[in-house]
Amino acid sequence: MPIIVNLDVMMAKRKMSLNELSEKVDLTLANLSILKTGKAKAIRFSTLEAICKVLECQPGEILEYREE
Amino acid sequence: MKSKTKPILRILHIVSWIIFIGLCVRAGAILYSFFVSLFLNTGGAKNLYAGLNLSSLFMYDRVQYCIVVSLIAFISALKAYVFYLVIKIFLKINFVHPFSDTVATLVSRIGYIALFIGILSIIGMSYCEWLGRKGVDFTDLHQFMGAGVEHLLFAGVIVFISQLFKRGIEIQSENELTV
Repeated sequence: MPIIVNLDVMMAKRKMSLNELSEKVDLTLANLSILKTGKAKAIRFSTLEAICKVLECQPGEILEYREE
Repeated sequence: MKSKTKPILRILHIVSWIIFIGLCVRAGAILYSFFVSLFLNTGGAKNLYAGLNLSSLFMYDRVQYCIVVSLIAFISALKAYVFYLVIKIFLKINFVHPFSDTVATLVSRIGYIALFIGILSIIGMSYCEWLGRKGVDFTDLHQFMGAGVEHLLFAGVIVFISQLFKRGIEIQSENELTV
């Protein structure tokens, strides 16, 4: 898929672990892992909002369009 | 799921088992009487199963008799197989995640087998009508080989449902992968 999820990059920048993020955004580790590995087919605005709030970033920093 | 649905499905499961056993018995009994009529007692052709009288055909031509009885037994066996697949669906279905590849395969297989039964029944009935015009008398044949058109209609509905099921699998997997 040409949409790349840069969640791991943002987590590394904020020095935050997956466990910590999952607790703060109230998402299961399994779902966060699906998002991080790029297996997700869709993301809810509420999830994106929570991630942006916790990581103090913009949606564009998490999602990126790259032509295949 | 509604509280009434589960008991209804349970009843349908039990009914499917009863019909499956009944159809197995029918197919087995027809085959058994067929072999008895061929090798032991020719009078067996008068009542193959539940009043199925093919003695006229037996007297007319043994090869034609073998073809017709094999067709009737084969159709009964296929009907039993359809109910076996229905039982398998009842055993495999999970109402939390109802759309699975296994159930979709079973539903589409039921559709294609029903289509095959319908075609076989129509061919069989036409064949028997042709034999009837040559003077062979058939009684009570319709309940064993009839309902070809009904089976075709049933097959059409089931194949349509199986296509809907495939779309359901896609939607369910999309829903599961939505974070």
